[in-house]
Amino acid sequence: MSFTLRQRSIGWAAVLLVCLALFIGLTIKVNSVRSEVRLAERRIIQLERQKMVLETEFQTRANQQQLSDWNAVDFGYVAPLARQFVEDERKLASLGAPRGIDAPEPIQMALGDGEDTGGDDGETLLSMVSPLTGQAFGPDETETRAAPRDAVTAATLGERLARRSGTAQLRSIAE
Amino acid sequence: MNAIGVTTAIATGRGELFTIRRRYLATARLRVFTLIALFCLIALGATARIAWIGIAQPGTQQVSLSESLLPPRGEIADRNGVPLARAFPSYALWFNPEALGETGTPLIKSPEKVAAELAAIFPDINRAKLVAHLKSGKPGYLRRQVLPEQANKVIAIGELGLELPRENDRFYPQGSMAAHILGYVAADGHGRVGMEQVLDKRLNDPATRGTPVQLSIDMRVQGALEDELGRAMLETDALGAAGVILDVDTGEVMALASLPEFDPNQVVSDDVVLSQARMDTGEMPRSFNRVTNQVYELGSTFKPLTVAAAIDAGMITDVGRRWQASRPLMVGGNRISDSHTIGASLNVPETLIHSSNIVSAQIAGEVGGPRLKSYFAQMGMDERAQIELPARGRPLGMNEEWNHSKALYAGFGHGIAVTPLHLASAYAAMVNGGIWRPATLYRVEPGHAAKGRRVFKASTSARMNQLMRMIALYGTGRNADAPGFRVGGKTGSAEKPGRGGYRRTTLVSTFAAAFPMDRPRFVVIAMLDEPKGTAASSYQRTAAWNAAPVVGRVVPRIGPLLGVMPDDTRDVDITDLRPLVGDEG
Repeated sequence: MSFTLRQRSIGWAAVLLVCLALFIGLTIKVNSVRSEVRLAERRIIQLERQKMVLETEFQTRANQQQLSDWNAVDFGYVAPLARQFVEDERKLASLGAPRGIDAPEPIQMALGDGEDTGGDDGETLLSMVSPLTGQAFGPDETETRAAPRDAVTAATLGERLARRSGTAQLRSIAE
Repeated sequence: MNAIGVTTAIATGRGELFTIRRRYLATARLRVFTLIALFCLIALGATARIAWIGIAQPGTQQVSLSESLLPPRGEIADRNGVPLARAFPSYALWFNPEALGETGTPLIKSPEKVAAELAAIFPDINRAKLVAHLKSGKPGYLRRQVLPEQANKVIAIGELGLELPRENDRFYPQGSMAAHILGYVAADGHGRVGMEQVLDKRLNDPATRGTPVQLSIDMRVQGALEDELGRAMLETDALGAAGVILDVDTGEVMALASLPEFDPNQVVSDDVVLSQARMDTGEMPRSFNRVTNQVYELGSTFKPLTVAAAIDAGMITDVGRRWQASRPLMVGGNRISDSHTIGASLNVPETLIHSSNIVSAQIAGEVGGPRLKSYFAQMGMDERAQIELPARGRPLGMNEEWNHSKALYAGFGHGIAVTPLHLASAYAAMVNGGIWRPATLYRVEPGHAAKGRRVFKASTSARMNQLMRMIALYGTGRNADAPGFRVGGKTGSAEKPGRGGYRRTTLVSTFAAAFPMDRPRFVVIAMLDEPKGTAASSYQRTAAWNAAPVVGRVVPRIGPLLGVMPDDTRDVDITDLRPLVGDEG
């Protein structure tokens, strides 16, 4: 009886010891990860500062006055003229010349939408074939096909031109 | 004691010897045990220390990432987020004569040679001063704000006396650009002159300094304006120049330039205060803002405002009405005349196109002193310029009651002195549909423009847009008519007041413009202080030859950046006014 009791207490003590060891081990691990995080943070701060310094140096070298001086000496770019801008489809159309009397018919390209080519035959042709079984991969295995392109209409063209991509690009560079 | 021990050992023989040996052994064992215990104690201490560090991590304060990255002073950026002023850990070049020990020479090479090598890195440095400093053996700054690349070159000189301490400095990457808007930070860490002074509290507050303050200006537009103004100033040998570009619908200042300007990175005492002798010659410190602080009689640029007031008040119902223009007006013994007789009589478009003082004065006389003053007051000319900057000039000539003769002079911009910014805000109100708004240097989110107050009817504004465009097409503003941008504007060349009346030789040339006139978006003011007649300005001193070309060159550069595309097929409709100026085409 007393032997079992002693055995049990030893058992409990052992369990406790193991738990304690695990707890200590875990704590040490947590703290080591924490210091790694801290080191990483320190590195981030260092890199951020370095980035700021480089960014500022770049901006100082490429300041407006400097760019303007370079332009005056080396490039000689001038502000674009009105005819260099195409603001809307009306203006785009005005650039075209009327067709001559004996001129051949203009070649018009047909643009099919995605659904027409997506028939049964097209599906098999475009599907990937397994090199082992010779079976075509199912539609779920193939990559999702590119969304059909929107038909180009006067409205969408106008919208696209109205976006003034030049300005948008300039803005994104500045940002 | 020993003597007794030895005698007993000899006496007792082998037994005694054993006892001694055992005693020695015990002592040795005790020593070994002590040593082991000591080692154990150290090991235990080390283990405990490791456990303590591993478990409790004493002495590590968690500093958050954002707190570490918080700048010591907030950043100022332009409307697109490009930094204009930031806290920057830059290098400084410090001369430490004791780096090679307290005795002996402070430098390895001769001071002249070191100065020559430094001058190769910093071409603008004063070599004679530098040599004197190096010879004096006194510690001090040789230069501040040194670029990393320059710092590397300084290290390559190999002089231990040249130290490069890192300092937390305020840095302006664009150099002198927009210096009057930004201001600078003095040695006490507080801002001076511009937005650095206005925003001082916010830029220093830990709660707010993390986010950059966005101003309304566009760095590229500012650069273009300063570039063209600076060019015109040099070409015409002017004392100074000023320019402002204003968004007519929001009052946002897109660019504001006052030349000559100072470099906020290297502010010298002359930039802030000048000696009395130099002030007496008419020179101003470079930090003085000509756009918001200096008042000028802006002359003929006031004529469109007078005409607008007359149309708005119902005094001019027919712009084809004619006034005599051949006889000078006599007012209190003074003559109001034109530079030459333009014609026997002139209508409103002709008056503005040829810039007739005689007719403008007559129109102002019809509006009447009190009413004209009230219009000018509504355009903010009775108070300091409305902008955030601390230095704002108070207009002159608006305090007294306006009688008839005062109105005649004010009608063509004399007897009233305002800042170029006052004029810009007034023009914005005239072309934007009639709403006056205060100018602001903060970026305004779309739809959040100040409410403003109505000064002119929308119909008056529409008529003025036509008239302004006609001045640029047929009149003195032809040099400002950038193709495709539908510029409209008015020249103004006013004599500067001096001792005993106006000085005919010193002019202030101004061009006040707006574009595109079919839907005005921006007002541009360009002003030159005392331009001379040079080859570049065709030996003319008037605004048509020096200030108007500035606008003509600035608008094509900034238009596309601000979303105004040039278009030859569009313009404001002036078909109803064309016959009035003899253009039947």
